[in-house]
Amino acid sequence: MRALALTLLLVISGTQANAADEPWRTDPRAFINHFAEAGIEGILTAEIDDTEKTAQFRTLFNDGFDIPAISRFVIGRTWRRTSDADKEAFIALFEDVIVYTWSRRFSEYKGQTIEVRGTTPDGNTGTLVDSVIVDKAGQTISAQWRLRMRDDGLRIVDVIIEGVSMAITYRQDYASVIRQQGGMSGLLDLLGKQVVESAPS
Amino acid sequence: MSRYTVSPHRLLRAVLPLVALVALSACADKPPASNPEALRAYEERNDPLEPWNRSMHQIDQGLNTVIFNPTIAVYQAIIPEPGRKGVTNVFRNFRAPITFVNDILQGEGSRASTTLGRFVINSTVGLLGLFDVAARMGLPYHYEDFGQTFAVWGMGEGPYLYVPILGPSGGRDLTGYAIDNMGIDAMAWIGRADNPFWWQIAYFGALATDTKSNAKPLLDELKASSVDHYAALRSVYRQNRAKEIRNGAPAPVPDFEDYEYEDGDGDPFSGLEINPTEAQTAARTD
Repeated sequence: MRALALTLLLVISGTQANAADEPWRTDPRAFINHFAEAGIEGILTAEIDDTEKTAQFRTLFNDGFDIPAISRFVIGRTWRRTSDADKEAFIALFEDVIVYTWSRRFSEYKGQTIEVRGTTPDGNTGTLVDSVIVDKAGQTISAQWRLRMRDDGLRIVDVIIEGVSMAITYRQDYASVIRQQGGMSGLLDLLGKQVVESAPS
Repeated sequence: MSRYTVSPHRLLRAVLPLVALVALSACADKPPASNPEALRAYEERNDPLEPWNRSMHQIDQGLNTVIFNPTIAVYQAIIPEPGRKGVTNVFRNFRAPITFVNDILQGEGSRASTTLGRFVINSTVGLLGLFDVAARMGLPYHYEDFGQTFAVWGMGEGPYLYVPILGPSGGRDLTGYAIDNMGIDAMAWIGRADNPFWWQIAYFGALATDTKSNAKPLLDELKASSVDHYAALRSVYRQNRAKEIRNGAPAPVPDFEDYEYEDGDGDPFSGLEINPTEAQTAARTD
């Protein structure tokens, strides 16, 4: 019942994003705390099956991350030369790649918590939230969240785990593929295959 | 005693010129100055030996399949997680002199005394390093190597190098690795004394098994989530090294118009230092 209520809450917060009703949407610290809680209680420890967890994660990911901006960052200079259809195709595939990547790790969850340590201004309208993921033995992993302010509140544009940026890693991975394949279509083909292989059956 | 011994130094001296020769013949083509975009991308990659490195990466993947993955599977099957943690602790303790010497060379007095304190406590109370007692006493583990020392001294990373078994490295880090393991590590001195060469083989074999067993989940994940595993690993290696060199201090906040391209036509990457090592070393404040 509790899981259902949270699910509904997530769906509602996803579809009716409104900064005025939800003050956490504009406060970086509260924003990360909200998503950590939604992820842990609504997905990782929720008593729902894996398909449902993946679906919940997709909703959360769309609500918390600026996927089009991350897509532009990840493709870099080639974005300018990419057709609108290919841009759309990429954004959809990239979302699948992230959702399936994170879904594979749900079962590894062993009671870790996220503790926000501090925030620093980042870029013109952004904030870098510094946090640690703490496991039950007290060991910590550093996690930083790069946030940008949008019309409807904050959005995550990068996650940096132990100094490794998700956005930079994908960018350099895809730049290499684009260069070798001679353009976006080669990357889209390979991503399409990757998504088919990694989709939960 | 007529035992045939091969000193690692002699081996390296014999192999290095050959490696250099083959590597030079496998250079990636540098784009001409008339194509500034391609030239910039080439310099960002900083991987002039890419074709050679990619074949080394392939060989390494093969070695993993044939040797290391089966070894790790057996190792993980017979030794449960707490035991493996103990093995990692023993290696960390045995190799603490490497961190200690490099702490000092980097002028990190308080980190050096942490390393020394840990070594004394864990070697005794911790039963030759099996238990990390010092961490529970407020002396957390950290790791330094000569590659990081070179970086702190202002040396650039040099060309990227992929070395089978060792994995991603570079001109600076591989030189540092050789100094650490042939000059500082206790096993180098044990090996130089009148002891059989297979001691060192056994030692590095066990060390590689421990290291690879710990790294496997993350590397498998990277492989599954990347399209060009070689390029993704190169990126992760560099970012992680940059963080180690900063001793975990937060990366400097880049001053750039990164994600603010609402029209979707801009390059959100302009201005960001893509090869973070130099910029972040310079920004080190401690």
